[in-house]
Amino acid sequence: MYRYDEFDHQLVGDRVKQFRGQVERRVSGELTEDAFKPLRLMNGVYLQLHAYMLRVAIPYGTLSSKQLRMQAHIARKYDRGYGHFTTRQNIQFNWPALDKIPDLLEELATVEMHAIQTSGNCIRNVTSDQYAAAIDGEVEDPRIISEIIRQWSTFHPEFTYLPRKFKIAVTGHDNDRAAIKLHDIGIVIKQNELGDVGYEIHVGGGQGRTPFIAKKMADFVPKAQLLAYLEAVMRVYNMLGRRDNSYKARIKIMVHETGEVEMRRLIEAEFAKIDASQMLAVPQAEIDRISAYFASPEFETLPATSPALDAAKTQDADFARWVRANVVAHKQDGYAIVNISLKPIGGVPGDATDVQMEAVADLAERYSFDEIRVTHEQNLVLPHIRLDDLKTVYDALNAHELATANLGLISDTIACPGLDYCNLANARSIPLAQEISERFADLDRQYDIGELKIKISGCINACGHHHVGHIGILGVDKKGTEFYQISLGGSADENASIGTITGRAFTEETIVDAIETVVTTYTDMRQTDERFIDTFRRVGLDPFKERLYAE
Amino acid sequence: MPNEYQLMKDGALCQDEWTYSDDETALPDAPTIISLTRLKAEAESLRARNAKLGVQLLADGNGKTKLGEDVAELEPYLDMLSLVSIAFPTYRNGRGFSAARVLREQFNFEGELRASGEVLHDQWAMMRRCGITAFELAPSVSLETFTAAMGELSNAYQPAADDQRGALWQRHK
Repeated sequence: MYRYDEFDHQLVGDRVKQFRGQVERRVSGELTEDAFKPLRLMNGVYLQLHAYMLRVAIPYGTLSSKQLRMQAHIARKYDRGYGHFTTRQNIQFNWPALDKIPDLLEELATVEMHAIQTSGNCIRNVTSDQYAAAIDGEVEDPRIISEIIRQWSTFHPEFTYLPRKFKIAVTGHDNDRAAIKLHDIGIVIKQNELGDVGYEIHVGGGQGRTPFIAKKMADFVPKAQLLAYLEAVMRVYNMLGRRDNSYKARIKIMVHETGEVEMRRLIEAEFAKIDASQMLAVPQAEIDRISAYFASPEFETLPATSPALDAAKTQDADFARWVRANVVAHKQDGYAIVNISLKPIGGVPGDATDVQMEAVADLAERYSFDEIRVTHEQNLVLPHIRLDDLKTVYDALNAHELATANLGLISDTIACPGLDYCNLANARSIPLAQEISERFADLDRQYDIGELKIKISGCINACGHHHVGHIGILGVDKKGTEFYQISLGGSADENASIGTITGRAFTEETIVDAIETVVTTYTDMRQTDERFIDTFRRVGLDPFKERLYAE
Repeated sequence: MPNEYQLMKDGALCQDEWTYSDDETALPDAPTIISLTRLKAEAESLRARNAKLGVQLLADGNGKTKLGEDVAELEPYLDMLSLVSIAFPTYRNGRGFSAARVLREQFNFEGELRASGEVLHDQWAMMRRCGITAFELAPSVSLETFTAAMGELSNAYQPAADDQRGALWQRHK
């Protein structure tokens, strides 16, 4: 994992001191809430329905056990004993007192973490593949370039007051787990025919009220030119992106209105000017320095199978189910990737208590080379677990209600905070996610249904990614009553697609039944082993519509 | 534009030798800042002028576009200009940061670059990094406040239009 050097420490320390001064000026009344707003936003402090909320950056979703323990400590000391993992691989604390946030940030800095640029119209925390360096078939660990992008984009003097927020995601694998086509910039690490590593760049994806799949802008940007290329995209956007209407200010709207061809021309013209100076070519020695932090753990040489694991699976059916649902093959023989579902039946998607976080941190330290990952689907990952240790890890997780065996299944929903916390929401998301998971609580039924991603947003801003849910649910408000609109066929992976709205919205009382109708329509029509998304792509919307709106 | 600001230039409060002129009035025989519209319309006669000339790059483009004036339009006139004033209509509109860097890094403009309009406390240091050397500040801002704000971040990660190289480069001098 990346470790701060004196530069990183000093900059984060400077920022905490600066924010402390700003908070003091706010508390004393020298700054009005209006004047304070842009300053707090740059430091991840939002004003929600009931209180200030702090969003802490987890760069590319990687945490050490020490860092996760600090989140537990913060949850206990500054919050109500829990934290919420978000769809951007970050963690949010919902109840910190404003005047204590500088102390909180100071404690966070001791474990090399911060809340910089987790909100505001700037380049946000870079996200990536949660299986980085653990999955087979990766071109390169995406966290290396993610860390370089993190540094380049931190306190960027030119791109901190953009037309709108800006999100960059990176994957180094053909199976996209970082939803890169739904980001302002999506980067795919590629190897060309000469064996050189470079980047395929997608621009202008996004969700919100007008969802777009990103357009491929460049097939192969050589390594040394990536920052110049990114700076070109950013400058074109900063100069020509709309600022007259915040709903039309994301780069996706600019790409759509300008057109893909003209957009590419503008970017390439700017890229040529910037690249000519060679100013943004990162020295090889620095790339090597950062790469060294992501060197592969010292895996043991182990057989590809584990008799201990096989025996445990035979003895414990629940364990066997958990292995089947939540454990993924590792690139190294004798190891596995363990997903920890933060979607217990009836629970709040993405929430973890202080005690749970400490339990995961302990397991990571003992069994996973001290590493934890956060996924954009609001779960956690222990990336490097020996097959022989899986049962021990499972038992420890199970003791903390962290062994729900539902990864990628219908109860593994993404949900935004919704009307329970957020002042933008039209409807509640969390209670609906809870009701759905209770309706489908039977794990055998969930396995029978198979991979099915439900994503719930409490309003059109789409923080719950409903556009790319296999089943998307959007909370809408009609005359003060909460209604829910269903869309089908969305996907956030390498075959990204935007879902289609089925029609009239459902009430709070009928929405769960409607989801059930969608599911049974699928199970009635599927062919052998066909996933929901594949059935939908084969048969289209109509059969679902007929069943949903049949009198 | 009336002089309701104090000028902070190269880190010190100073008397502003410049005035803003509108598009109709005859220009004073002293340093003055005109609009891009006037600059383009009167470029021929302005070349014969003895006193220094500056231009203000407007952010809202006088209603012509939703974006504001394009810094590229200044390029043919840069040899006539001793100053470019970049208007920031609100602190949220950071378009001028890019204009400043383009002027410094691509057009090699060496005259005064100043920020006018609504500029926030913690934007000053970023503006300086983009090549802005003079700031039209609210009269309430003290030199101490300004100097402290400029020093709040001791380093940078990336290169821009100033002499900081950025940590990604500086680590391997």
